[in-house]
Amino acid sequence: MGTINAALSITTQALDADQAALNVVANNVANANTPGYTTETPNFQENQPLEIGGVSYGDGVTETGATSVRDRVLTERLNQQQQLASSTGAQLTALNTVQALFTPDSGSSSAQAGDISSDLTGFFSSFSSLEANPANNSLREEVLSSASTLASDVSNAAASLNSQRSALDQEAGGVTSQVNSLTSAIAQLDQQIQSTSPDADAGTLEDQRQQDLSQLSQLIGVNQITTENNGISVTTTAGQLLVSEGQSFQLTTGSVDGVTHFFVGGADITAALASGGGQLGGYLTARDRDIPSVLGSLDQLAQSVSTQVNALNNVGTDLVGDDGNAGDIFSEPAQLAGSAAAMSVVMTDPNHIAAAGAGLGTGDNSNATAMAGLAAQTIVNGETPTNFYANFVSQLGAMVSNVQTENTAANASVTQLQTQSNALSSVNLNDEASAMSTFERSYQAASQVFTMLNTVMASVLNLGEQATVS
Amino acid sequence: MRELNLPRTDLEIREVVAEASRALARLDADRLEELALACQALNRDRGRLELQSDGGGKSGALARQAREAAGDMRAFRRVLDATRANLTVMRRLRRLREGHIEYSEAQARGWTPSEPDYGDN
Repeated sequence: MGTINAALSITTQALDADQAALNVVANNVANANTPGYTTETPNFQENQPLEIGGVSYGDGVTETGATSVRDRVLTERLNQQQQLASSTGAQLTALNTVQALFTPDSGSSSAQAGDISSDLTGFFSSFSSLEANPANNSLREEVLSSASTLASDVSNAAASLNSQRSALDQEAGGVTSQVNSLTSAIAQLDQQIQSTSPDADAGTLEDQRQQDLSQLSQLIGVNQITTENNGISVTTTAGQLLVSEGQSFQLTTGSVDGVTHFFVGGADITAALASGGGQLGGYLTARDRDIPSVLGSLDQLAQSVSTQVNALNNVGTDLVGDDGNAGDIFSEPAQLAGSAAAMSVVMTDPNHIAAAGAGLGTGDNSNATAMAGLAAQTIVNGETPTNFYANFVSQLGAMVSNVQTENTAANASVTQLQTQSNALSSVNLNDEASAMSTFERSYQAASQVFTMLNTVMASVLNLGEQATVS
Repeated sequence: MRELNLPRTDLEIREVVAEASRALARLDADRLEELALACQALNRDRGRLELQSDGGGKSGALARQAREAAGDMRAFRRVLDATRANLTVMRRLRRLREGHIEYSEAQARGWTPSEPDYGDN
């Protein structure tokens, strides 16, 4: 073997191997801007040496294909953060619309709630005005008019919230077909990847599967588990199988109590999907938690104000002499749920406003005083009506702010991970080290900024308070 | 002639916080280091304000800025938390990959002493 010919043969093989490696590099360069493409590295294998007469002769090298450079841990972290970003993004959009409802003069087309805070003040003030002249017809008309404004703004807000809930329900239902299409594609790709020879690189197929998984992560919260032969199982974050062994399990929908619920193989997984992340998680959280909570607060306000005002009107004396049976001003709520949507003024004749106390003449104003006094009484869940409403709006603002914060952080995290993922799939190790160094520097500098600002803010807030006091 | 890229020190606190969140998202280390310098300057100003009474003017304005920036500061903190978690993942990956490289190089050398070196006891 130790001949010139053998040496030339080995050299030719080496050149062939290098040529094949150059093809892999050329392919990397050509696909530099292809979405989802993962850089490949060439694989070299030493040829089996020949043994002749107890002497071993090297037999050169062969290029055996290419392997895609993947970091599954990073990809999974990216998918997880993408799920959070999509979820909080969808929830934030919904909450911004809800908040606009309770922001007077927000310019929103859906700002149907008017200014409930002013309505409450105006309504109770109309009784204060009536105290001065309880028989005055225009003042009585004013009471009914302000009651009507309050009831109309509360019921319109509830109607808008219910409409928004229906819209979210439809959007959530619409995600199902996209999820099923993606899980079917992933299952199909998984079959192809698993059937690829163990020595071959299924790089392109894996890229496609990864892209589909990334899209799926934007829609719902999923976990992926690597199985044998480079296959994967995909489950919801609560563990329900969506893809396994090349087979997909379809997400189906059905109506439960008037809203869309989601099923896999007969099991209702709606609650798990709501907390799982992705757009669907955001829609369901807004539909099933946030909006019902806002509606619940409005119901409390409507029920308490209606019930208390009606009760007082029915213990006083009205202008036509009804004593203890003057009737209701607002429709009496049958139950808490739906009180806001049903809030309306049922009294049509202002003479039935019982401004006088029980058994007293029609010129008396003691019951009007009592009704005006409801404004200062803790009749709604232990708070005055205006305080309850102010706290409710403030809590809604805090909720929006929290979701905004989470969304900002999740989007920032996704951007960082995408940058790092691109750097890691670079074949150039210097680029990778440089990207890591930039990451470390950024974190260190940001930590310094945070620490210094925290100190400055704590200190100036104290300074400000001292300045105000002095 | 290259223009000096000196950090602005007249930024409102809220602007600094929001800009820091954005710069951290895109891992702009240079910008974050500039902002750190701006914060040092802010901190010096604050120190001077503590020493001298200004009748509530500048300190009151800073207090207003601080209150307005509270929400952005919460967001910045969350971005920082997420970054720390990402950095942990990246450090682990880096160690893993470095280990892989070392292993390959050792393997590529393909030489293992089969006998103890002479003189070894």
